[in-house]
Amino acid sequence: MGTPSAFAGGQSAPGALPAYPGAHELAAATPGQALVLRGLTKAFGRRVAVDRIDLDVPVGSFFGLVGPNGAGKTTTLSMVTGLLRPDAGRVLVAGIDVWSDPAAAKARMGVLPDGLRLFERLSGPELLSYLGRLRGMPLEVVRQRSAELIRVLDLDDAGNKLVADYSTGMRKKITLAAALLHSPSLLLLDEPLEAVDPVSARIIRTVLTQYTRAGGTVVFSSHVMALVEGLCSHVAVLAGGRIIAAGELAQVRGGAASLDDAFMHLVGASDMQEGGLSWLGSSPA
Amino acid sequence: MVGVFAGLKWHLVTSRLRAASGAKKLWMAIGFAALTILLLLVAVGFASFRMMPEDAVPVMVTILTLQLVGWLVTPLLAFGVDETVDPQRFALLPLRPQTLQRGLLVTSLIGYLPLANMVVLVGIAVALSVPLSLLPVALACMAVQMLLCVVLSRAASTSMSALMSSRRGRDLGMAVGLGVFVLYMAFVLFVNNPSADPSASGGALRSGVFGVAEVLQWTPPGALAVLPSLVAVGQWGRAAVAALIALGGLGLAWWWWSVALRRNLTTVPSSTEGSAPSHGAEGTAVAVGVVGTMKVVAGRDRLLAWRDPMRRMPWLMVVILTIAWPFVVVRGSGAIFAVALGALLCGAQAGNQYGVEGSGLWLHLMTVTDRARARGEVLGHAVVALAPGLVIVLVGIAVQAVVHDDFAQVPAAVGVCVAALFGAVAVSCYLSAVVSYAQPQSRKSMFASSVPGQKGRTFAASFGFLVGGAVIALPAIVCTLLSLSVDPVWGWAALVLGPVAGLIALAIAVRLTANRFLATAPEIFEIVRAGDRV
Repeated sequence: MGTPSAFAGGQSAPGALPAYPGAHELAAATPGQALVLRGLTKAFGRRVAVDRIDLDVPVGSFFGLVGPNGAGKTTTLSMVTGLLRPDAGRVLVAGIDVWSDPAAAKARMGVLPDGLRLFERLSGPELLSYLGRLRGMPLEVVRQRSAELIRVLDLDDAGNKLVADYSTGMRKKITLAAALLHSPSLLLLDEPLEAVDPVSARIIRTVLTQYTRAGGTVVFSSHVMALVEGLCSHVAVLAGGRIIAAGELAQVRGGAASLDDAFMHLVGASDMQEGGLSWLGSSPA
Repeated sequence: MVGVFAGLKWHLVTSRLRAASGAKKLWMAIGFAALTILLLLVAVGFASFRMMPEDAVPVMVTILTLQLVGWLVTPLLAFGVDETVDPQRFALLPLRPQTLQRGLLVTSLIGYLPLANMVVLVGIAVALSVPLSLLPVALACMAVQMLLCVVLSRAASTSMSALMSSRRGRDLGMAVGLGVFVLYMAFVLFVNNPSADPSASGGALRSGVFGVAEVLQWTPPGALAVLPSLVAVGQWGRAAVAALIALGGLGLAWWWWSVALRRNLTTVPSSTEGSAPSHGAEGTAVAVGVVGTMKVVAGRDRLLAWRDPMRRMPWLMVVILTIAWPFVVVRGSGAIFAVALGALLCGAQAGNQYGVEGSGLWLHLMTVTDRARARGEVLGHAVVALAPGLVIVLVGIAVQAVVHDDFAQVPAAVGVCVAALFGAVAVSCYLSAVVSYAQPQSRKSMFASSVPGQKGRTFAASFGFLVGGAVIALPAIVCTLLSLSVDPVWGWAALVLGPVAGLIALAIAVRLTANRFLATAPEIFEIVRAGDRV
């Protein structure tokens, strides 16, 4: 795993890889970027889920990753966070290659994945304490940050309830707390507001906004265009495993009335036509 | 409507066969053929009891009762074995409860398991048909037995399905599993009664079965087993009582099922009930170096071993197996060495350490990123199996030594058992990384331990520790054999060699496991996260 050529595993033959610059050269060539992707590729059997993605995420940006279902958002984020091995390509977090030096890269990122379990039989405070101590953080720092995160994220009422008994909103919030605990410079969030109640969503949005104001970088995937439009400074549109547009929000939106309209245009979707389904409501059987 | 249910079940039963590729189909056909031969052998074995008419009835009374108990508890232990078990799946269909009940009965009778049971029951019917002209009566009794099994099983599963849909309920289901295990131990002890007169025509086992059958013949399955013999000797009064017991039992089970079905279809399951809250056991260790990480991980594992039924129940079973089981299998001196199996099982508690939490492993993928932490993590999991394991094994040895006055064997037994314990921990750790497998996270059963497509992997990992542990204990075993055949002083050699071999194996295993985890963590994660779906 230690060398870039290890990426040649999976579908690609070593000789077939494009000649990406080494991690040091790439880091030197992309100053001021919190996250850099070059040629990131992943195929499951014959289906190419992520197809040679290049992306630069500036430090301090609130970066939205949007795309229809199956576009490759979760696959991309999984490869960035080290949960899924890419077939080819390079990922730099704060100039560090995630797959060559995972310890240093992972220390600089906080992750909120979608649909993955936590250590369900721990309470929220126990989970934060365990993860903080496992990262080698001093006990006092863990306690102080954990208490503050629980208060700010409005998880006080949960007390010592086990994570298994948390609602969806509470699970997202405790995962966000775990992602923020070690004060990373980059947050990678997969659908952080999916199925979350409005109150929890507001709290999460506020915390994330504060985080970017303090200099942190947020990359998050979402289906909800209005949310991305309201929060993000930058956006990338993924479709069919490729980035079809990326840049500052206004630039991607272009002349469209909203990001939603721009998105529909970019992914080539059209509104559902009237007509058909005339039998609906006509019979109880 | 009953035909639709039958068609649906037939479709489900044959879908795996249809979906399989050519080679897989061939292997499945070979498997089915082997199972069929095995079943026929069992049926013929049972049928041969007709040569011993005085033994046939008590034995079959016991067998039929065990069969009924098996059907009763299987849905509780392996809820979800059959997709048609959960009546909630039919709640939204416009069906009357009576129609649904009849349909579900038909679906329950179609499948590999009912078919296997029917084959065995035909064998039992032949055994009970003395003279052979009673075969129609015996077959009718076995048909009622089959219905009884299915109806009672469905009644129990329907009553429990609301409970099993909540996590708390499923935790309770695990406790039921432990209860069944304890009952099994008690049953074996009772049937294989050591206090019974072994000289009494056939030994302790036979006299135990006869004693149990005396009582069980007044239960519905027992009554069905004795009915043909009562007809044969013309005891019509008792035969009528037996028929009444059997049919009454079937009627009661049918009624229980209908009530449970009605309640199940019209009430909302209490799936929001939470667990008891934790008591804020956060720990103070910090992961600095291997030892620090070991303390952090061991602290969490220790907490969960008590809090999580999926981890707690195996430990309780291990305690029973280590301390009580040797009394069941070995009489007198030598039982002290049977503790070694308990030692191996204690060691197995360190197994599949990356798969226990399903996709929750991602939290460790983000934090356990360097060699020191990876080794510390493995060691932490190992310590949580070793510390209680050592205590349980030593208590088991002490109990055997005291009860059987077997103190001379203690050094050799400690040597073998400690080697087996450390060896099993070492092999379990290594297999965790090399043959990781997904553990079902729905926790519907403590015995539903594999997910579709990973059965071979699960089997290899689950039983590899037995072989590996035994191999590592080999030097101590050889010394023990020498102590028994050459000179007792070899027992002391076993006491030294056993722990040394175990410690060396563990040290090597920790390094190899950690390296393997660091090199293949995403691949391990991909395998174990499949447990979330089951």
